[in-house]
Amino acid sequence: MNTIPAAAADGRRPSGRDLSERALGALLLAPAALLLLVIVVYPIATLFWNSLHGVDNANPAAGEQFVGLKNYLTAFEDSRFWDSSLHTVLYILVTVPGALVVGLGLAMLANMPFRIKWPVRLGLLLPWALPLVFAGLIFRWFFEYNTGVVNDILRRFGVEPLQWLSDPNLAFAAISIAIVWKSSSFMALMLLAGLQTIPKSLYEAAEVDGATKWQQFVEITLPMLSPALFVALIFRTITAIQTFDIPYAMTGGGPGDSTETLAMYIHKTTLDFLDFGYGSALAALMFVLSMAATSGYLKYTRRSSGRSGED
Amino acid sequence: MPFGLSRRGTVWIAGLIVAANGFFPAVWILLTSLKTETELIRAPITYLPEAATLDNYATAFTAQPILRFMWNSFVVASLSTALCVLVSALAAYALTRLRLPHRNLIMSVLLAIAMFPLISLMVPLFKVMRELGLLNTYLALILPYAVLSMPVCTLVMASFFQDIPPDLEAAAMVDGCSRVGALFRVIIPLSAPGVFTAAILAFVNAWDEFLLALTMMNRVNMRTLSVGITLYQGEFAFPWPLISAALIIAIVPICILIALFQERVVGGLTQGGVKG
Repeated sequence: MNTIPAAAADGRRPSGRDLSERALGALLLAPAALLLLVIVVYPIATLFWNSLHGVDNANPAAGEQFVGLKNYLTAFEDSRFWDSSLHTVLYILVTVPGALVVGLGLAMLANMPFRIKWPVRLGLLLPWALPLVFAGLIFRWFFEYNTGVVNDILRRFGVEPLQWLSDPNLAFAAISIAIVWKSSSFMALMLLAGLQTIPKSLYEAAEVDGATKWQQFVEITLPMLSPALFVALIFRTITAIQTFDIPYAMTGGGPGDSTETLAMYIHKTTLDFLDFGYGSALAALMFVLSMAATSGYLKYTRRSSGRSGED
Repeated sequence: MPFGLSRRGTVWIAGLIVAANGFFPAVWILLTSLKTETELIRAPITYLPEAATLDNYATAFTAQPILRFMWNSFVVASLSTALCVLVSALAAYALTRLRLPHRNLIMSVLLAIAMFPLISLMVPLFKVMRELGLLNTYLALILPYAVLSMPVCTLVMASFFQDIPPDLEAAAMVDGCSRVGALFRVIIPLSAPGVFTAAILAFVNAWDEFLLALTMMNRVNMRTLSVGITLYQGEFAFPWPLISAALIIAIVPICILIALFQERVVGGLTQGGVKG
C-alpha cells in the first residue's frame, strides 16, 4: 500500500541545463510543505500554547492569561471529559469490529462473479460517498419513535416499539448501527481489493483436497487477507477516534450527554462555551491519543513495506 | 451450494444484498420526500407514498437557500480540488521520479501530518482564521480541504507516475523541454487517469466535510450543503418529507459523479486507502 516506488529516474540524464535534482526536488515539495506548515503545523503548535492559557473568571477583562497546566488538571477532574472519552472508546470498541465483520461479509459477497457489475459497485460506493451527517440524519429518521421504520417493523412483529433516541443505551446502539453501516462499505472496498489478489488456484487445490467452504475461509481467505484486514482496521480506528458527525446529527449528544463523544465535547467547549484554553487542552489530549494510534500504523506499514502488500 | 440454490441463484442473491445494503437509505428518503406531512404521521406508516407529491421539493428550494449552499459547496470543493491536485502532483513527481534522499521519510511525514485528527486542528485553525479575518470566506475551507486530500492524491498520482517509462521523459528533454516542462507536457498527460482519480476523491472529500464547514462558516449564505441540510430541522420539529427532499437534491450531484466514474473511484480508493 503506502510504499514509495523506487525512483524511476536514473540520474543518467544530461544535467547542467536543469537544476540539480535535490534543488528541484525541494522546489517541487515546497508548495506541499508550505500548505502543511500554514494549515497543520502552525495551528498544532499554537494548540499546545493556547492550552496553557485561560480566562480568569474573576477577572475576565484581562483576557487570556498564562495558566500553566491548569487546563489539563481541570480535565482530569472533569467528569464530562471522562464520560465523553469513555463514549468514544465504546464507539471504537463496538463499531470498528462491527464494521470489519460487516465489511468482510460485503466484500465476500461482492467478490462473486457478477455479469453486471455496476449495481454492486454502486452499492458499495454510495455509503462511502454519502456525507456522514446525511447518514446520521437518515438513520435518525429510521429510528424515530412514532413514524420511524424500525419501530414499524417491530410493531409488525408484535414487539413493543423502543425509545431508540431517548434511552441512553438504545441511542448508543442506534448510533453504532449507523456508524457501522456508513463505514463498512469503505472497509469492504479495501478488503475486496485484497480478496482479488488471492490466487484462485489455492481454492481449487483445497477443493480437490476435500476442504469445506468454511475450512477454505479459515485456512486460505483469512491468512491471505490479514495485511488488508490490518490496514483497514487501523484506518477505521483512526477515524473512529474522531467520531462526530453521526452522533451530532442523530442525538446531538443526548439524551443528557449520554452519547456525546470527545470530539463533540471539544467542539462545544470551544465554539459554544468559547473556552479556548480548555478546548485546546482537550484537543491536545485527543491529538496525543490519536498520534499514538497513527504511529502504530506507520510502524506497521514500514515493517511490511518490503512485502508486496495489498496493492 | 447452500439451501439447494444454483450457482447463478447464489450470485444473484449476493448482488442483491450488497446493492440493497447500499441503496436502502437513499430509497427510503426518496419515498419519504414524495409523501405529505399528513401521510407521514399516519399509523401504521405507509411504505409507498399514497398520493405522491413534488411539493416538498418546491418547499426545499424556498425554505432555505439550497442552491446557494450547493454553489458554496461547488466553489469550495472545486477550488480545493484544483489546489490539492496541483500541489500533490508536484510532490508526487518529486517523490517518484527524482533521486531524493529520505523519500520514504518525507512520505511518512506527509501521511502522518494528514492523519492529524481534524477536531484537534479545528480549534487552533478557527483561531488562526478568525485572526486573519478569513471566517465566512471560501478560503477558510479551501486551504484545509486541499491539505485533507493531499495524502490520498499524492499516493494515487505517485503510483501512476512511476509507471511511465523514464525514456519518454528523457526524450522530451532531449527535444528541449525543461524538467518541469516534461512534467506538465509528458508525465501529467500520460497519467491523466490517475490525476483524474485523485481529483474525484478530493472533490468528494471536500463535498462531504462537515466539522470545518460548521465551524468556519456561520453566516447562512456561506454554509455548504452538508451543514445547510441540517438547517431544515426546526428547533423541536423534524419535517421529514422536507428534509428528505433536501437530502435528495443534495446527494444527486455526488451520485451522478460516482455513477459516471465508479471504476476510477474504486481503483483510487483501494490504491490510496486513505480517507479523512
